[in-house]
Amino acid sequence: MTPAVPLGAFIAVSAALFFIGCAGVLTRRNAVVILMCVELMLNAANLALVAFSRRYGATDERGSVFVVFVFVVAAAEVAVGLAIVLSAYRTRPVVNVDEARAMKG
Amino acid sequence: MPIGPFGIDPGIWAPLRLLLAVALTLFLVLNGALLMIYLERKIQAIIQDRTGPHHVGPFGLLQTFADAIKLLSKEDVRAKATDKAFFLMAPMIVFSPMVASFVVLPFAPDFVGADLNIGLLYLTTLGSMAVLGIVIAGWASNNKYSLIGGLRSAGQLISYEVPQILSLVTVVLVVGSLSMVDITRSQAGPFVNFLVLPFAFVGYFIAALAETNRTPFDLPEAESELVAGYLTEYSGMRWGTFLALTEYGEVTVVCSIMTTLWFGGWQGPGVDALPALGIVWFTLKVYVFVLAFMWVRATLPRMRIDQLMDFCWKVLIPMALVNILATAVLLLAFPGNLWPIAIVNWALVAALVFALPALQKRRLRTFRERTRLSAA
Amino acid sequence: MTFDFLEMVLFAILAIAIVGAGAAVVLVGRITSAALFMAFTFLCMAGMFLLLGAETIAAFQVLIYVGAITVLILYGVMFTPQGSRDYGLFFQKQTPWAIVFVAFLAVPVMVFASSFQDGRPLARGGDLVPLATSLFGDFAYPFEVASVLLLAALVGAIVLVKRDDEEIR
Repeated sequence: MTPAVPLGAFIAVSAALFFIGCAGVLTRRNAVVILMCVELMLNAANLALVAFSRRYGATDERGSVFVVFVFVVAAAEVAVGLAIVLSAYRTRPVVNVDEARAMKG
Repeated sequence: MPIGPFGIDPGIWAPLRLLLAVALTLFLVLNGALLMIYLERKIQAIIQDRTGPHHVGPFGLLQTFADAIKLLSKEDVRAKATDKAFFLMAPMIVFSPMVASFVVLPFAPDFVGADLNIGLLYLTTLGSMAVLGIVIAGWASNNKYSLIGGLRSAGQLISYEVPQILSLVTVVLVVGSLSMVDITRSQAGPFVNFLVLPFAFVGYFIAALAETNRTPFDLPEAESELVAGYLTEYSGMRWGTFLALTEYGEVTVVCSIMTTLWFGGWQGPGVDALPALGIVWFTLKVYVFVLAFMWVRATLPRMRIDQLMDFCWKVLIPMALVNILATAVLLLAFPGNLWPIAIVNWALVAALVFALPALQKRRLRTFRERTRLSAA
Repeated sequence: MTFDFLEMVLFAILAIAIVGAGAAVVLVGRITSAALFMAFTFLCMAGMFLLLGAETIAAFQVLIYVGAITVLILYGVMFTPQGSRDYGLFFQKQTPWAIVFVAFLAVPVMVFASSFQDGRPLARGGDLVPLATSLFGDFAYPFEVASVLLLAALVGAIVLVKRDDEEIR
């Protein structure tokens, strides 16, 4: 049975979401929003991994294993990232990345 | 002609089964909530030596119907400072995952909405979605009590998800399947999982009390501290959806999980001859746990937020981790023999029961020392 | 009668929702709205995984992204007061250059991405068993390393936000 939706469509959606997240990371000022956009990029990568793992190449599910690792990394990243945002906010009440210049030297 | 379950043609049985499952779900959610509210009020009344509702209908049986009609006919009030879209969305976000979780509950043999091979994972997933709705409700209400209630609730639910999932994992380890039907079928004899994994059950029971926001863990809606927590700004049927339908629906789901995982689900005398009897057994077992929840509510005082977090992170999670480690190692060391696992589990239950008074004593001692120091 | 077109329709709806909500995360003013749009994107992504027949990944997706990460981010938003600024100040100074750069990259990559053809027919059965066999078989060591990463993140987050002053207890 050939699937109704071609593989290319899934990969295209994944790429679109990845570049949306990329644009967000490069343009937004708010640190929390940047964190969210990084999550979007990671999720786009997940879609590509699952699509290739289910539809392309070898017959096992190796691609999906990497998705599990991406989940782990995403969770760790959000925990540490938010901790950094909160502690930075505590020393100096700004949330916007362009105003936090303390590390600039 | 092939003959399906209950002697019905499979072509008719498939859609019929779906209809029956949907009907049963709606029955359990809507009427179940009405029945459970009545039960809760009556049982609390009995324990507190009152009569409880007795005006409407015989024994006050129609009291909750009257309340429901009152809630439905109330004006839909929304404070001006609330955030409209989020405020209206929050009850739906909380309510819909609860209804969706009824899909995988096995009410009787061949009587389940969908026998997913990831059934248990699906249930935990839906359980974790409710947190989002509660946080949004607290934030959208634009009220500091609501916000604190919502944040407390999120912290509590996320913390107690950990021991809850860890307890479920031990059962999955022993049974070797995530499907609710397989888990039920594995407990055919009188030796249900509870006899093998009592500690997992106790851990899950405590975590489930916290997950459904019930006393002694009902801090998010602690009336004496936070007015009504994230429910403060809600009224009418939105409040009813939040509190009555969702809370009691979640209690039903959680009790069904306990029934299925530890007490054999639909299994009981006479089910092999008459599969429909499974529904009776299942419902009876579920309502035993519902009654236990109400008993706990009427008996125990509410915990403080720091005690709640302490208990979760310092007692429940370490013990659940020890339980998982022991279960996994013993399963590999003694394949096919459940006795060692059962012994370790009962020992853990004993440790929990005996450690609690000791912990409490130590806490009291440090508290007295601190007050003495601050007085000096 | 065949229901093959349903899959296509579902895919179209999900794709539009993912791209739309993803764009909303970047463009929307209020952070809470952005967080909710992000949660919605994640939910639709779980739908995509279901279309691909990866139901375990879909369940993990909802459990981790919607149930944990979104709630954590909402927590972060609520603990840091978000002042309302002019819309013009939402974006950084390098925005025009960044947009041009991203668009320049995106167009060829999108064309390349949509050119992929299916390498093999859709695998039957769910992805639970193959995923578990790979994860706990060949990938057991990376799995353990991932657990160490989580532990490090847990300790790191606690150390970062722990207050030094002891009187607040």
